Amino acid sequence: MSQSHNAHADHGTNDGSAIAEIKKVTIILSVFTIIELMLGFWMIGMPVGALRLAIKGIIVILMMAKAFYIVAYFMHLKHEVKNLIMTIVVPLLLFVWFITAFLWDGNSFKNLRNTYDRHFKEQSTIKVAPKEEEHGEKHTSDEKNEVPAEKH
Amino acid sequence: MSTTTTASSNEAKLWGGGKSPFNVEYGKVMMWYFLMSDAFTFGAFLISYGTVRFSTNGWPDPNAVFRSFPFAPEGVHAPLVFVSIMTFILIISSVTMVLAVHAGHNMDKKGVVRNMILTIIGGIAFLSCQAWEWNHLFHEGAWWGMNPFLNADGTASSTNFTNFFFTITGFHGFHVFSGVVINIIMLIMTLTDKFEQRGHYNMIEKAGLYWHFVDLVWVFVFTIFYLL
Amino acid sequence: MSHEAVLHGHESHGHDDHGHHEHHDTFLTKYVFSQDHKMIAKQFLITGMVWAVLGGLMSVLFRLQLGYPDASFPWLESILGKWAKGGQITPEAYYALVTTHGTVLVFFVLTAGLSGTFANFLIPLQIGARDMASPFMNMLSYWFFFSASIVMLSSLFVETGPFSGGWTAYPPLSALHDASPGSKTGMDLWIIAMALFVVSSLLGGLNYIATILNMRTKGMSMTRLPLSIWALFFTAVLGVLSFPVLLSGLILLIFDRNFGTSFYLSDIFVNGVGALSNEGGSAILFQHLFWFLGHPEVYIILLPAMGMVSEILSVNSRKPIFGYMAMLGSLFAIAVLAFLVWAHHMFVTGLNPFLGSVFVLLTLLIAVPSAIKVFNWLTTLWRGNIRFTPGMLFAIGFVSLFISGGLTGIWLGNAALDIHLHDTYFVIAHFHIVMGVASMFGMFAGVYHWFPKMYGRYLNNSLGYIHFWVTIAGAYMIFWPMHYEGLAGMPRRYFDFSIWESFKQFADLNRFISTVSMIVFAVQILFLINFFYSIFKGRKVTVQNPWESNTLEWTAPINPGHGNWPGEIPEVHRWPYDYGKDGHDFIPQTTPVGADETGTH
Repeated sequence: MSQSHNAHADHGTNDGSAIAEIKKVTIILSVFTIIELMLGFWMIGMPVGALRLAIKGIIVILMMAKAFYIVAYFMHLKHEVKNLIMTIVVPLLLFVWFITAFLWDGNSFKNLRNTYDRHFKEQSTIKVAPKEEEHGEKHTSDEKNEVPAEKH
Repeated sequence: MSTTTTASSNEAKLWGGGKSPFNVEYGKVMMWYFLMSDAFTFGAFLISYGTVRFSTNGWPDPNAVFRSFPFAPEGVHAPLVFVSIMTFILIISSVTMVLAVHAGHNMDKKGVVRNMILTIIGGIAFLSCQAWEWNHLFHEGAWWGMNPFLNADGTASSTNFTNFFFTITGFHGFHVFSGVVINIIMLIMTLTDKFEQRGHYNMIEKAGLYWHFVDLVWVFVFTIFYLL
Repeated sequence: MSHEAVLHGHESHGHDDHGHHEHHDTFLTKYVFSQDHKMIAKQFLITGMVWAVLGGLMSVLFRLQLGYPDASFPWLESILGKWAKGGQITPEAYYALVTTHGTVLVFFVLTAGLSGTFANFLIPLQIGARDMASPFMNMLSYWFFFSASIVMLSSLFVETGPFSGGWTAYPPLSALHDASPGSKTGMDLWIIAMALFVVSSLLGGLNYIATILNMRTKGMSMTRLPLSIWALFFTAVLGVLSFPVLLSGLILLIFDRNFGTSFYLSDIFVNGVGALSNEGGSAILFQHLFWFLGHPEVYIILLPAMGMVSEILSVNSRKPIFGYMAMLGSLFAIAVLAFLVWAHHMFVTGLNPFLGSVFVLLTLLIAVPSAIKVFNWLTTLWRGNIRFTPGMLFAIGFVSLFISGGLTGIWLGNAALDIHLHDTYFVIAHFHIVMGVASMFGMFAGVYHWFPKMYGRYLNNSLGYIHFWVTIAGAYMIFWPMHYEGLAGMPRRYFDFSIWESFKQFADLNRFISTVSMIVFAVQILFLINFFYSIFKGRKVTVQNPWESNTLEWTAPINPGHGNWPGEIPEVHRWPYDYGKDGHDFIPQTTPVGADETGTH
C-alpha cells in the first residue's frame, strides 16, 4: 500500500527530478520529430524501392517511440501501479492482429482486382494531365503516355 | 459482524478489496479506459485508411499536396514545413499541460493557471493552423468527394485520399476542440478555487490525460498522412 | 492529496449520501431519473422486454410469410396498411421485419436488456458496493439507450419504412439512398440509433469496469468474485474495445451516404439512376469494421448468460462450481479470441483464402475454452443435490443449447464447409441456438433467480415450469429442422421459397416451424403476465436468503434501499462457492473462516 503510494508522492516531493524528467522527454520528442522530418525531406523525390521502404520503417519506429514517451511520461503511466499498466498495454496488443489482418486483406483485394478487373488495372496505368494550369506544358507528354494503355 | 472477522482480514493486499488496486480514484480509471476505447475509434479510422491505400495501385504524394505555407509567395513550395509547426505547437502544449498537472500536485494555483492558459493558447493555435490548411486545400479543390491531386505516378487518383484526410483530421480536430473546451472549463474551475476547496487537482490530471491523448493521436495522424 | 482520500473518498461519500436515511425522493427521481443502480437495472430490463416483444412479434410476422406464402390474412392489412397489401406481407416489409428483428434482438434486447440489466443489478450488490462508481453516468447510459430506442422505434413509422438491408448493414445497400426504400430515412435513423447505442454501452461499460476494479468491499479479492461478476467484467471490456470500431465504421458510412465520399463504394450501377461516379472504395472494408465489433458482440451477448448460469447452477446444485480458475481462464481466453476471429463471417466475400485459413485456426481455438466451460458446468451438476427451480431449469437449458449450437459452430468455422453453408438456414439455426435462444435462457434464468431480490416477491413457479418446457421444446422444434434445410442449400433472407422447385419439399416443414414459433411466442406472453402480475401480487419474500445462496446480495435487506446495506457494508472472508463444505449446506461469503475448517479456495 505504502509502496505504491510512493509513486504518487515522489512527484510532489522531488520537485526538481520531475521537472527534469519533463524537460528530458520534451527534448527527446523534439529530436525524434526533427529526425522524422529530416527523413521525410530525404524521401522527397526518392524512387519507390527498398531504401524508401526502410526509411518508412524507421519513421514508424520513431512514431512508436514518441507514442511511448508521451504515454509513459506525459500521461504518467510509467509511474502507475504495474497492474494498471498491464490492463492498458495488453488490450492494445489487439492492434497487432487488427492491423495485420486489415492490411493483408487490403493488399489481397488489390491483387484480386489487378488480376480480374481489367478496368481497374487499366485505370492505374493511364497517366492524366494535371488540372492546374502551371503544368500545361506537360500535356503533350501525358498524351503520349496514354498510348500504351490502348494495347489492352 | 462478529469480532473475529478482523483476524482473517490481515492481508492488506492491493487486490484484497476495500480499496483501489491501482491506487487511483475511479474517475481516472474511467478516463484511461475511455481513452483506450477512443484509441480503437482512431485506430479503426487509420487502419481503414491503410486498408484502402493497400488496396489501391497509386496514391498521391503527400509532399506534392501539403506544400503550402501561409503568406508564402505564389509558387513557393515548402513541403512538411507547415505541418511540422503544427506538430511542435501540439507537443509544446502537451508540455505545458504536464506542467499544469505537476503544479496541481503541488497545490500551486498560480502555476496551474499559467500553464492552463498556455495550453489553451496552444490548442487554439493548432486549431487555427488546421483551419487555414483546410481552407487552403478547399480552395485548391479538395473536399470530401473531391480530389484534385494526382497519384504520385501521374495516374488519376480516387477521392479516398481527401476523404480520409478530411475525415480523420476532422475527427482529430474535433477532439482538439473538445479538449480546449474542457481545458477552459478546468481553468475557470481553478480560478474560482473549486479545486482548492476540494483539496486536490485531480480534475486537471484527468483533463491532462485527455489532452495528451489528443497529442498522441496527432503523432500517428501526422506520421501516417504527411510522412508515409 | 492524501492517500486515504484517494482510496476511500468515494466510499465515505457514498456512505454519507445513501447510508442510513432516505432522502426525499420524488416520483421523478425515484422511478424516472433514478441514479440507483437497482432502478436503472429495472429500467433496462423493462425496456428490453418491450423490445423483445416487438422483435419477437416481427419474427412471428415473417414466419407467417415463410410458413404460409400463398395465404392471405386480411387482418394483417389492417395492422400494417400498405406493408401488407391484400393481407400478404410485401417483400419490402419482409426485409424490413427481418432487419429490425435482428438489430433489435442483438443490440437492444440481448446487449442492453441482458448486460444492461444484470451488470447494473448484480455488480454493486455482489461486490459489496453502495452503487456504481458513477451513478450519474449510469443514469445517462440508460437514457442514451432510451433515446436510441425511440429513434429506432420512430424508424418503423417513416413513410419509406425502416432499414431493410439486414442487421449487418452492408454497403452498398446501406450506403446508397436509391438502393431500396429502407435505405432512405430508415437507414439514417438506424445509424443515429446505433450511434446513441454505442454511447450508452460505452458509458455503461466504463462504469462497470471501474466499479468492479475500484469499489469491491473489504476482503472481496478478484478471485473471490462470483463468476457472474467476472463474466460481466469481460463483457464490459469487450464492449468498450469493440463498439468504437463500429462507431468509426458508421461515421464513414454517414459520409458515404451524405457527403459524396466513396469509402465503401466502387464501380456501382443503380437501376434507374445509372453508373455512380464513386470509385476506389471497398465494401469489404465495412464488413471488416462491422465484424470487428460483430464478433465480440456475440460474446457480449453470451458471456453475461454464461456467468449467471455458472452462479445459478452452483447455487441450485448445492455444490461449489467446478474449476473456478479454469472458468476464469476460459472467460479470459474467449474474451481475447473474440477479437481475433471476426473474418470467419466473411469467408465468401473474396477474403484472401490464406488469411481465411488463419481465421479458421483462430476460430476453432474457441472450442477449447467453450468446452472447458461446458465440462465444468456438467461436473458442477454431477451428483449435485439439484433443486429444480425455474431459474435452474433455464440455466440447464442454457447449457443444453450452448452445446447443440456450439457444435455446429465447428462446422461453420471451417472455411471449406462454410462456402456451402454460408447464408443458409444452417447458419440461422446455429446462431439462433447458440447465441439467441441460449442467451435468452441465460436472461430468463437470471430473471427467475434474482426476481425475489429485484421486487421482493416470487414469480409463480407453475407458470415458470410451463414457460420453460414449452420454450425449450419449441426452440429445438424451430431450429433443429433448419439445419436440414440449410444443408439442402435453402438460403436465408429469401422472401418466398414456394417458387423454387428444390425447396418445395420444405413447405410443410416451414409451416410446422412457423406454427411452433407462434406457440413459443404465446408462451412468452405468459411469462410477461407472470412477471408483471408478480411484481404487484406475487407471493412476498419473507426470508432474506430464499435460495440459501452465498453471495453478498442476499445479505442485503429484502427490499434494499438506495445504498443497498443499511449499516456497514459487509466484509467478505471467503469465495462464493462454499456449498456442502464441512457438513454445512452453505457458508455465506460474510462468514469468517473457522479455525478447524478444511482448506479454503
